[in-house]
Amino acid sequence: MPVKGAPLNRRRALLLVVAVPLLLGFSLLLGPSGIGLPDTANVSGRAILDLRLGRFFMGMLVGAALSTSGTVFQAILRNPLAEPYVLGVSGGAGLGAALSILVGGAWLGAAGLPLTAFLFAVLTLLAVYGIANQGGIPSVYSLILSGVIVSAICSSVIMFLVSTADIDGMHTVVWWMLGNLQPSSWSEQFVSLFFIVSSILGLWLFAPALNVLTLGRDMAHYQGVNAGLVTLMTLLLSTLLAATAVSMGGMIGFVGLIVPHVMRALFGPDHRWLVPASALGGGTFLVLCDALARTIMAPIEIPVGVVTALAGGPFFLIVLRKKMKYAWID
Amino acid sequence: MPGSTDPLTQALAFRGVTAGYKGRTVLHDVSFGIEEGEFVALIGPNGSGKSTLLKTATGLLRPQEGRVEVFGREVSSLRPRDRASLIGVVPQKLESPMAFTVSEIVMIGRSVRGRWDGPDSKDYDSAEKAMIYTNVLDLKDRLFNQLSAGEQQRTALAMAMAQEPRIIMLDESIAHLDINHSQEVLRILMNINREQKITVLLVSHDLNLAAQIAGRLMLIDHGRLVRNGSPSEVMQEELLGRVYGCDLRVRQDPYSGNPVVSGVLDSFISRSSVRKRLHVICGGGSGIELFRRLSIEGFEVTTGVLNRLDSDAEAARALGIPCALEQPFSAVGDEALRQAERMVGEADGVVVGLVPFGPGNLVNLRLAELALKSGKPVWMPDGIASRDYTPESQAASIAGHLREAGAEAWTGIQELTALLKRAWPESQQHR
Repeated sequence: MPVKGAPLNRRRALLLVVAVPLLLGFSLLLGPSGIGLPDTANVSGRAILDLRLGRFFMGMLVGAALSTSGTVFQAILRNPLAEPYVLGVSGGAGLGAALSILVGGAWLGAAGLPLTAFLFAVLTLLAVYGIANQGGIPSVYSLILSGVIVSAICSSVIMFLVSTADIDGMHTVVWWMLGNLQPSSWSEQFVSLFFIVSSILGLWLFAPALNVLTLGRDMAHYQGVNAGLVTLMTLLLSTLLAATAVSMGGMIGFVGLIVPHVMRALFGPDHRWLVPASALGGGTFLVLCDALARTIMAPIEIPVGVVTALAGGPFFLIVLRKKMKYAWID
Repeated sequence: MPGSTDPLTQALAFRGVTAGYKGRTVLHDVSFGIEEGEFVALIGPNGSGKSTLLKTATGLLRPQEGRVEVFGREVSSLRPRDRASLIGVVPQKLESPMAFTVSEIVMIGRSVRGRWDGPDSKDYDSAEKAMIYTNVLDLKDRLFNQLSAGEQQRTALAMAMAQEPRIIMLDESIAHLDINHSQEVLRILMNINREQKITVLLVSHDLNLAAQIAGRLMLIDHGRLVRNGSPSEVMQEELLGRVYGCDLRVRQDPYSGNPVVSGVLDSFISRSSVRKRLHVICGGGSGIELFRRLSIEGFEVTTGVLNRLDSDAEAARALGIPCALEQPFSAVGDEALRQAERMVGEADGVVVGLVPFGPGNLVNLRLAELALKSGKPVWMPDGIASRDYTPESQAASIAGHLREAGAEAWTGIQELTALLKRAWPESQQHR
């Protein structure tokens, strides 16, 4: 009798396969113009469907990026609370994006916004790591603590930039910061699609190494993994994911926390399943949140970041209290 | 699998290895070799460099000088995967924050073989074999985190075995297990070593366990290899006593014939019937360490005069040491003094501690004078003058007289115990 390998629960996998298209289809039915599929026979109906499809595309990309990034941060730092926001990576990316919007990053074309965001996110990560590192490998707690500090500094600088900006710039940045999935230009969307899809695929390639890394860096070394290199590469890729997501959709928190935990509870901790499941689940979750955000108070649209935070805040506390009994055991 | 390399190459060889961390060298010029198929235990006190040696052997730490070779190849130049297929490591404690099952953990040991697309039947066979050897097959679907410590260690061992390494290194991996669990893991290790010819390097601070199982012991101390040989060559009273800095006895285990080391606590007990008695003059906390050491050295201890609530008085009460007591913050009165004089009369000697003297407790120093007059030895620390708060330095001048009358000087507590041993060699320690 062979030993059971990666024990993917087939029924749950089926659930994902069936539920995801259903939920995504459902999201297309929701919008401030009314519930139901818009009438594609007339021009305004087609325009509405176009808009909803654009939001759908953005939501899938940003959600997948945030959620995959959270999954990987949690694995590398071996901590259930690690997430691009908690570590200050999103804050740094936000600062970079705000600078790019206000000061102008046009010199890089469509990639200007995500690349500036990425650059600042990497700098933030280095700063967080540097502050936490007082000799030896920094503890997870000091990492999170310094993440919170650096994050706070970044948001103060953003506030400063906003307060000194002209009215147009202020409006753009604030609207962007609140988190929204209004499609940007096609070229920007294309660049982001490229960054996000290639980063997720890259991280997926590291899935077996990530499994070993959850046992600690020494164990990974003993198991024949180049722990330093893998840590660096996966950190960079997940930072790129978070930065691109932030530059596309603004500050949308907690997706990287909620979705990986739910996926881990459903499919177990094996990253060969977890990475794609998180990407798919994260995209679906954000698309649904966005559909809710534009429908529940129609015609007023709530920023999607508000919806995810309202769902995520309590979830964060539950994870903190229970450390997610099924997926993580303390 | 064994056999691919020259049979003469050693499984592990250290050649003049100096290693450590930034600004701190831990290992100094360590050289040794381990032949393939050997079972070697690395022993030494805490902080002697055992873990550093293991980290260097596994390539986690680069040597500052010298070479570390595994089956003839320098460990730091091995590709990570090749290294993992030669060396398996069982850590002190394997921790998995995520909810992996036992079989998933063991299968991670197969990731060495490095295919992303998932394991094939050979991987499953190898993992299953490892789990049968380590007796965790029944646990395969249980969550690793919910296992007992012994089961977790067996799983970690199965994971290392699934790598199919040619040498397994264990870092204090059985130190925290109950005796039944540690015996089970040791049995498994001996099986692996004998049947599969896997070389084993066991790091342990448990000397008896090491001597029981290993064919060869390597003793390190302060980062240097001080003895490398058979258990009987290494388990020497004098050597171990020097390395571990305490009194040790080595005898043969009547069942196995292995050398067994033990502390001399048992010999305290055997000589405890009638013992020399010492009266300690102290106060203000200067006596606590004296009480402790003198009791451990096998002396009966009395003390006084102390004020109630003085920290030494509290310590004496806690240790059950008879004590002549005076009211708190009062000068020593007649009644308490007479009680202390009786104690000195019954004692075989007097030890003066590092106590400050003032007008209130100066009479305690007279107790030492009394002892000298009745021909009993007195040990008095140097530098009483610096602790003298009496008018006109009375304490210092009395101390001077005492010294002339034959009181012996001591500075550290080590020296004091040495002096006491010289005064009463072990044979005469019984009255």
